[in-house]
Amino acid sequence: MSDAAGTVVRSGEVIRLEGIVKHFGGSTALSGASLSVRRGTIHGLVGQNGAGKSTLIKLLAGLHRQDAGEIEIEGKPYDRLTPHLVEELGIHFIHQDRLLVPSFTVGEALFLGREPRIPGTPFLDRRLMQRRAAEILGRYFGLRLPNSALIAELSTAEKQIIQITRALLNQPKVLVFDEPTAALVHREAEILFRLIRRLRDEGITVVYISHYLNEIEELCDAVTVLRNGRDVATLEIGETSAAEIGALMVNRDVSELYPKREVAIGGTVLKVEGLSSPGRYEGVTFSLHKGEILGLTGLLGSGAKELVRTLFGLEQSGEGTVEVNGKVVWTASPAAAARNKLALVPEDRRRHGVALDLSVAENATLASLSRFTRFGFLDRTAEILQAENLVDRLQIKTNGSDALVKTLSGGNQQKVAIAKWLSRHSEIYILDEPTVGVDIAAKIEIYTLIGELAARGAGVLVLSSDLDELVGITDRTLVMFRGRIVREFVSSETSADRILAAVAGASETLRHVG
Amino acid sequence: MSVDTDLSSYADTQEGAAKRDPELLRRLAPFLLRGGAILAFIAVFVFFAVSAPFFFTAGNIGNVLAQSAIPGVLVIGLTIVMIAGGSNVVTGGMDLSLAANMGLSAAVYATLSQAGHGDAAAIAGALATGLAVGAVNAAAVVLAGIIPLLATLAVMNVVAGFELVLTQNTVIPAASDFLSILSALGPFGIPALAYVLVGFTAIVALIVQNTPFGLRLYAVGEFPEAARAAGLSVRPFVAGSFVASGFCGGVAGILSASYLSGSTTGAGEMLLPVVVTALLGTVFSRRLVPTVTGTLLSALFVGFLINGFQLLNISSTLVSGVQGLLILLVVSATTLLNRREMQ
Repeated sequence: MSDAAGTVVRSGEVIRLEGIVKHFGGSTALSGASLSVRRGTIHGLVGQNGAGKSTLIKLLAGLHRQDAGEIEIEGKPYDRLTPHLVEELGIHFIHQDRLLVPSFTVGEALFLGREPRIPGTPFLDRRLMQRRAAEILGRYFGLRLPNSALIAELSTAEKQIIQITRALLNQPKVLVFDEPTAALVHREAEILFRLIRRLRDEGITVVYISHYLNEIEELCDAVTVLRNGRDVATLEIGETSAAEIGALMVNRDVSELYPKREVAIGGTVLKVEGLSSPGRYEGVTFSLHKGEILGLTGLLGSGAKELVRTLFGLEQSGEGTVEVNGKVVWTASPAAAARNKLALVPEDRRRHGVALDLSVAENATLASLSRFTRFGFLDRTAEILQAENLVDRLQIKTNGSDALVKTLSGGNQQKVAIAKWLSRHSEIYILDEPTVGVDIAAKIEIYTLIGELAARGAGVLVLSSDLDELVGITDRTLVMFRGRIVREFVSSETSADRILAAVAGASETLRHVG
Repeated sequence: MSVDTDLSSYADTQEGAAKRDPELLRRLAPFLLRGGAILAFIAVFVFFAVSAPFFFTAGNIGNVLAQSAIPGVLVIGLTIVMIAGGSNVVTGGMDLSLAANMGLSAAVYATLSQAGHGDAAAIAGALATGLAVGAVNAAAVVLAGIIPLLATLAVMNVVAGFELVLTQNTVIPAASDFLSILSALGPFGIPALAYVLVGFTAIVALIVQNTPFGLRLYAVGEFPEAARAAGLSVRPFVAGSFVASGFCGGVAGILSASYLSGSTTGAGEMLLPVVVTALLGTVFSRRLVPTVTGTLLSALFVGFLINGFQLLNISSTLVSGVQGLLILLVVSATTLLNRREMQ
């Protein structure tokens, strides 16, 4: 890890939580968890959903009170923390959701809650707010926004900068980032990391919570792994790996993280030839076989996303052909794509993948309603029967097929999104970032499910930016760069690093694959 | 550090993808909507000024201001509730009891006045009535957790019932020096009520648009989570907004007692115009949120519309039709905009 600012003293513990126990009613959220964070380090905190991460953080934020255990901040013991006390101690939180009011100007959003007043009046000093906002954003981020810019007009990344700046205004000693990259694209995340490292080098201690183990590996100095309400390990990053951390989180062997079934690969089910869309991708040619899991990856703007959207009829291509089972098809709309046995499981499942306010049963049969319709009426019994069958088979954790999808966890919502297509007997599954934002146990279940789809003879195309995932679960991986497929890897014979090089355009032997 | 240049590009990585036509439209839409609203205002004004010669005279404009005073004060109350509760028409801030509140407050004023009490007692009585109604609304919304639309609908009926009980559904005349001053002409031959409207708007606008309190009110309404994260308690603001709105109802009651020389039945008819005006007010703000000044503009717009219709001898029954149409237009326009913003 870089030690750019040698002057910063990295000794002593800023935060020390020892043997924290916390019950909620009958259930135990924490059963003796400890966390100690050294000054001036970036400390990762990982754990599956339910491991106690968020309880521990809420405790640190003064939102919960521990039933037992010790809290020491800067060496001083505290009986209990309150939000106010935590703020006084200089601990600030960057939430996953960007908690900024859309119709506010940047200045208003930054100073909400501690607004400067025009001296001697009760009125807001808008000019001072604007000036200070411009000053801080310029100094820390080199970011210039017009004074009149509203939060609603900013990009996700800009909003996050505002959020971080809000915390920096308090001159924090400790910054806690809770899943900060959840809504960022790869490149934006990279730059966020650089910023976090710089904050560390200026002496700010950072606690970094993430699902993404590769982020932890890349960014943190040390990491604490929580499982079932306790800390199972605290490791120096130099002495561990993302795979080891993942294995600790789920208490399994590294090899079990990416379950891969051996499936006999059959005939071509999907054949794409010379597909081009000006400015997005060109000359894309590849084929997908029965029982095959094909990975696809590329940076934002590489055309991979657009290609997937085209296949499903969400975008139009300029030229080229798409063949399903040897027949040329024209996927001009999602409905046409679905008729041709294509199934898309989109990345943003909450918006496109599932209907949050409908039940599990309704969602599971949404794409195949005609099968459950008799004389124009829904056959509820058949619908529910099918849904229960799917719930069972996919091991969807729900209170019943009539539970609303919004009450499920992210991983289970994703399974419902996949179930929707299973009941339609689709033959080609296109999964767009299938494991984004789900915890590692749900990931394993989704991988198992993908494997099962392939075993049933479907062709599966997985678009993902998690390269370990691609290496782990696919048969082949295609890499797109600047609109073209530049490399094809046999997944079992390659590594995430080698794919990464191709993704970044650094592969020396650029070649087009057919 | 050399990070700076990179960080600025961090911020605009999404820009490239966003530079497409729908995006442009999305960004332009608020300006179009707002520009359209102001254009409509000017067009209506010019149309009436040309077709009804009396329209564009100081006397008539003063009259419109005076006639707008009562609905104007009510709409300002509703605006405060909409700011603190969020501007979602169904689940956000809404106070349907305002018009009934005004009626009851006026009735209390007139009754106290009839009973021989002085102006001070009558004013106190009317304001206390307004505040009490506001407090009931606040309790129903904040403590009982009923959505404002339903809570205030229920309170509206209760309040209207009280008014019937108090007045036996009759006209109660009231006359006093104070009421006469209010209903008379003020300086420059412009009605006193016009000054009241402008003064009241100015004071509330200063508080709501220019103090930290006002800024927090917006935060609470638009994004309660963000307000909480900034260390604010949401519920006192929401409760306070209903009490403030109740106060406005009380003030409007006093103005109405003066304007009508007592209390008359039928205050409830004011409800639709008040809601229209408040919803319309949002299109007169740059950010498409409820603002006090936008509300004044919208109250005047509606006032001029009604006045122009009268001057042109167009049936007054048309007016409520036009108001209904305005609700549809404004609500669908803002809803469409918001939906697009969500995508």
